[in-house]
Amino acid sequence: MNIHELLNHGTIMLPLDVDTREDAIRQMAASLERSGSITHLDAYIEAVLRREQQSSTGIGFGVAIPHGKSAGVSKASLAFARFNKSIDWDSLDGSPATMAFMIAVPEANVGNEHLQILVALSRKLIHEDFRQQLTDAQTPDEIIEILAKNI
Amino acid sequence: MKKLLAVTACPTGIAHTYMAAESLQKAAKDKNIPIKIETRGAVGVENEITPQEIAEAHAIIIAADTDVDEGRFAGKPVIKVPVAQGIKIPSELIDRALAKEASTEFSQKVQANETNQSSAKKQNVVYRHLMNGVSHMLPLVVAGGLIIAISFIFGITHEEGTFGAQLGKIGGSAMGLMVTVLSGYIAFSIAGKPGLAPGLVGGVLSTSMGAGFIGGILAGFIAGYAAKWLIQNIKLPKNFEGLKPILIVPLLSVLIIGLLMIYVIGEPIKALMDGLTTWLGSMGSANKIVLGAVLGAMMALDMGGPFNKTAYTFAVGLLGSGVYGPIAAVMAAGMTPPLGVWLATMIAPKKFTDEERQAGKVASILGLSFITEGAIPFGASDPLRMIPSFMIGSAVAGGLTMLFDVMLRAPHGGLFVLLIPNAVSNVLMYMLAIVIGTVVTALLVNLLKRTK
Repeated sequence: MNIHELLNHGTIMLPLDVDTREDAIRQMAASLERSGSITHLDAYIEAVLRREQQSSTGIGFGVAIPHGKSAGVSKASLAFARFNKSIDWDSLDGSPATMAFMIAVPEANVGNEHLQILVALSRKLIHEDFRQQLTDAQTPDEIIEILAKNI
Repeated sequence: MKKLLAVTACPTGIAHTYMAAESLQKAAKDKNIPIKIETRGAVGVENEITPQEIAEAHAIIIAADTDVDEGRFAGKPVIKVPVAQGIKIPSELIDRALAKEASTEFSQKVQANETNQSSAKKQNVVYRHLMNGVSHMLPLVVAGGLIIAISFIFGITHEEGTFGAQLGKIGGSAMGLMVTVLSGYIAFSIAGKPGLAPGLVGGVLSTSMGAGFIGGILAGFIAGYAAKWLIQNIKLPKNFEGLKPILIVPLLSVLIIGLLMIYVIGEPIKALMDGLTTWLGSMGSANKIVLGAVLGAMMALDMGGPFNKTAYTFAVGLLGSGVYGPIAAVMAAGMTPPLGVWLATMIAPKKFTDEERQAGKVASILGLSFITEGAIPFGASDPLRMIPSFMIGSAVAGGLTMLFDVMLRAPHGGLFVLLIPNAVSNVLMYMLAIVIGTVVTALLVNLLKRTK
């Protein structure tokens, strides 16, 4: 299992030009649809927005991890975006989001390797040096390399 | 050194659970505090906290938005926050946990309880597996036995194709599965899912070979431990590891139990069962009465506990082999404790409180339905006087049914099964045995009980 199965150039956006949280979510979800891992875009976006309503996925440190589990997802996948301006994400620590990982997981997806990767990613995001590397990366290839190296 | 525990969980179980765990881990590491963190996310419960660790921990941090099975932390200082707080302020949470006064009295108590539990666990492991099998078997026995009993409304023998014969077929199918399910779920209890297949197969073989419920119990234990051993001891190259649960363990475990049943243990157990059946059938009346009395006393000794279940399981097992006497004794003996306390409250109401008189009325209904547990409120409040009274009354009832040669073809039902024609042979004498047992129980209860 490698990280390439979860994300590719098409789902890495450096930078992504949006103004609001919802905009960011819609754009990132659309990139996942284009890459073929989302079959029902609206259903997935609804799941993500519903999750945001429960409590913000802005985890602080400028990072957000919008995610949703939905039948509209055909395979577990990941999108990454660094925003060209800070987005208000209603974060835990009040700081706006400067980058986001979007996680898409199919409804009936429990305990497989993809999940393990997402788990590892979540854990990694807590560490500052990992976030710094993501902030400094210039190209999608560098992002993939950072993920491959750390997860 | 103060040790901490933490549990993290979130609704989706993908991100926050693990971020909170990582944050807490990191903060604890910075402070040089040992911490163990259980994560309950989409990949299941990982790094699960053991009772031993709970006993030793200074405090527990729960950072969760979903249920985390908090009951196990009873008596321990617990800090409970939303999962987001685990990510946001891990360091503060750890400081707060460390500052908690360890309520020593409580924690010692918990610790003591845990040690008791774990030693009790070891002693009763065989009993626990057996009871897992029995509890899965009982619905089949109850349904099967009662449906067979109902079929007797249409006569004791049925012509092929009649409704009575069909009922008999339905009931017989349920009863026919009894040993299979018993064996299967004993093995399931021991080895989990891999135990079920060999356990079921062992049970079918036991049934078809005539090794009965004793063969089934043995097959279940052998199959379960065989499967467990195979899971733990078969080592395959990593590429073939996936074959182990779907191919190797099922194949070998079923083969092992099958060959053992057919070539080694099946025949001796069949001989034992046949011997037991013949012995019970040819038993002189003195021995029969003793057997009935012992079974009866066991039914009343702990009312639903291990002795009660052992006696009942024994009788039900024999019912499956066509021996109908012990089950009659056991049911009569199981009815008399609650019926006896009811009668006692009727004879001498002044000896009882209002509450007890009410409980007595309820007990009468439970007694008529063969729910021995109806007498527990009385037994529990004054065990040294009540339990012996119950035991003697039940022993009398059990002994008398054997003396009267009562045969019962259903495993449950109480009074209601007596109303079905032919389900019980010698109905009048059976009721007499129950009435005498009830009266004896009531008289002893009133004799021994102190006036309130």
